[in-house]
Amino acid sequence: MGMMTAEQYEESLGKLNLVVYMFGERVEDVVGNPIIRPSMNAVAKTYELAHRPEYEDIMTVTSHISGKKINRFTHIHQNTEDLVKKSKMGRLLGRETGCCFQRCVGMDALNALSIVTFNIDAKYSTGYFKRFLKYLEYVQENDLTCDGAMTDPKGDRGLPPHKQPDPDHFLRVVEEKKDGIVVRGAKAHQTGAVNSHEIIVMPTLSMRKEDEEYAVSFALPSDADGITYIMGRQSCDTRKLEGGTMDQGNLMFGGHEALVVFDDVFVPWDRVFMYKEYDFTGQLVEYFASYHRQSYACKVGVGDVLIGAAQTAAEYNGASRASHIKDKIIEMNHLNETLFCGCIACASEGRKEPSGTYCVNTLLANVHKQNVTRFPYEIARLAQDIAGGLMVTLPSEKDFRSPETGKWLEKYFKANPDISTENRMRILRLIENITLGTAAVGYLTESMHGAGSPQAQRIMISRSSNVAEKQRAAKKLCGIEE
Amino acid sequence: MKNDLGSMLRVGVKYCGGCNPEYDRVALVEQIEKRSGEKIDFTPYGNGKVDLILAVHGCKTACADMSGFEGTEIWNITDIKDAEKFIGEVVNSGTGI
Ligand SMILES: Cc1cc2nc3c(=O)[nH]c(=O)nc-3n(C[C@H](O)[C@H](O)[C@H](O)COP(=O)(O)OP(=O)(O)OC[C@H]3O[C@@H](n4cnc5c(N)ncnc54)[C@H](O)[C@@H]3O)c2cc1C
Ligand code: SF4
Repeated sequence: MGMMTAEQYEESLGKLNLVVYMFGERVEDVVGNPIIRPSMNAVAKTYELAHRPEYEDIMTVTSHISGKKINRFTHIHQNTEDLVKKSKMGRLLGRETGCCFQRCVGMDALNALSIVTFNIDAKYSTGYFKRFLKYLEYVQENDLTCDGAMTDPKGDRGLPPHKQPDPDHFLRVVEEKKDGIVVRGAKAHQTGAVNSHEIIVMPTLSMRKEDEEYAVSFALPSDADGITYIMGRQSCDTRKLEGGTMDQGNLMFGGHEALVVFDDVFVPWDRVFMYKEYDFTGQLVEYFASYHRQSYACKVGVGDVLIGAAQTAAEYNGASRASHIKDKIIEMNHLNETLFCGCIACASEGRKEPSGTYCVNTLLANVHKQNVTRFPYEIARLAQDIAGGLMVTLPSEKDFRSPETGKWLEKYFKANPDISTENRMRILRLIENITLGTAAVGYLTESMHGAGSPQAQRIMISRSSNVAEKQRAAKKLCGIEE
Repeated sequence: MKNDLGSMLRVGVKYCGGCNPEYDRVALVEQIEKRSGEKIDFTPYGNGKVDLILAVHGCKTACADMSGFEGTEIWNITDIKDAEKFIGEVVNSGTGI
């Protein structure tokens, strides 16, 4: 098939028979649904840019298995340059869409599995790596979007899977058959789930022998029998139903998340990449998390948009020459570029794994993601400071268009005489969208919890920092001999 | 302007990936094309044999992948000033390569 165009991608989604629910009703036309469609547009952008000469250097790469030109989102990183380009791709797409473009999580799952299936085989002679490569070839050949499904509902956070009062709170194998396994459970918060052709399931935490039936990883077509999607709400989501062009802030793009329920779903053996090797669950979580923490390069691109919007709002308000406004823009750039440093650094300092895949530097990826849990909030705070209160008290587009009230809004919300009131309203709506509307799901709360909550990074930072070596250096300099 | 064989100079355009460009690369190439008039045949790289590759990078990092162009003359552009230089030396003077 080769690389899909955006149009072919949309067409391919239309052929899926997904079971999707939203607001208590089955969604029959998933692609055409006005709440879901902007998220489809964002994924479609990953296909569109791959065909544009001015982006192909980042968006495409040569497959190490087929030698063909493929979309980078289906690639297994072969060197640190690939990792750096992945970070740059995140910034590019974040800036082009102003939201979460959803496709990175599947790429990270593929890369993590390319390492861990190889490592499991090395210990248990299992044959997972060969299976995985066959699957990868299928994904690359058909240019598929994959949902990377790690997070279980997890029930009582203080209990391991096998001790949960409801055993289905972590996804598990409920039956083993000659030709495959049957799984039951759910995956929560699944980014881009209904825009995906495939769903790649991984365990959510490091497990022990008692959790053996939960130690499972596999891939399924997203419309496999028994899978149900229940769409998550986003703040201000129903503005997309209002039909205007201003109040949703971002006219074209958005993200989505869903709860994915697996109600006794059959998985054939050729799509199983881990089963009962509980001693490799921690490794799979760590590799996936490291890659995905790097992936938050996308927040730098969304940050670019927010900084641009804040500067524009300042100019439209007539406040852009004030020194404190200029300083706030400097601070926003400082924070945003610091994030960029992190995602470039963990990529440049990547390493080769026994499977041949390159992985990011774990410590630096975790430091990067820890910064991501903080800086977008501060950038958003500064953007709101610069925007002024109107970004949350602005009447609707319908009031602006109404013959009765429009003239008052036109008159009283005029600021800089050279700028139309409508344009001022548009930029304020975009800032609202990113800092507390639908896109804030991706820019803020996903920055906090996506790829693991802040404490998860602190544990990894603690584990990866060589403090003993730092002590040696310090003691040597001041003459301590022990 | 002509190449050594007397036919019109063919320039293959190769862009960087554009992660964070400091200017509009596509608009700049359009400008160069416009100012070159009929003198140069601009074409996407890989579209047949070219006399010169114009590598258009969005910033000074200049990270476009130039492997595969060994043996072909490469002219790098990383900002608008570089574009003026290209126009001055290759398009106008005819002595650029
Ligand atoms: C917008 C968004 C998109 C996402 N996309 C995806 C996706 O595509 N795929 C995917 O697999 N996942 C996805 N996630 C899930 C994400 O990885 C989880 O949100 C994250 O791992 C935290 O889990 P949780 O939300 O269940 O929070 P919890 O685990 O309940 O955490 C809440 C708080 O409790 C603390 N805590 C939890 N358990 C313990 C414990 N045992 N001991 C001490 N403290 C504890 C945490 O540190 C945190 O402070 C997404 C999340 C968001 C918000
Ligand atoms: S040259 Fe600059 S803008 Fe272009 S991809 Fe490289 S770093 Fe990004």
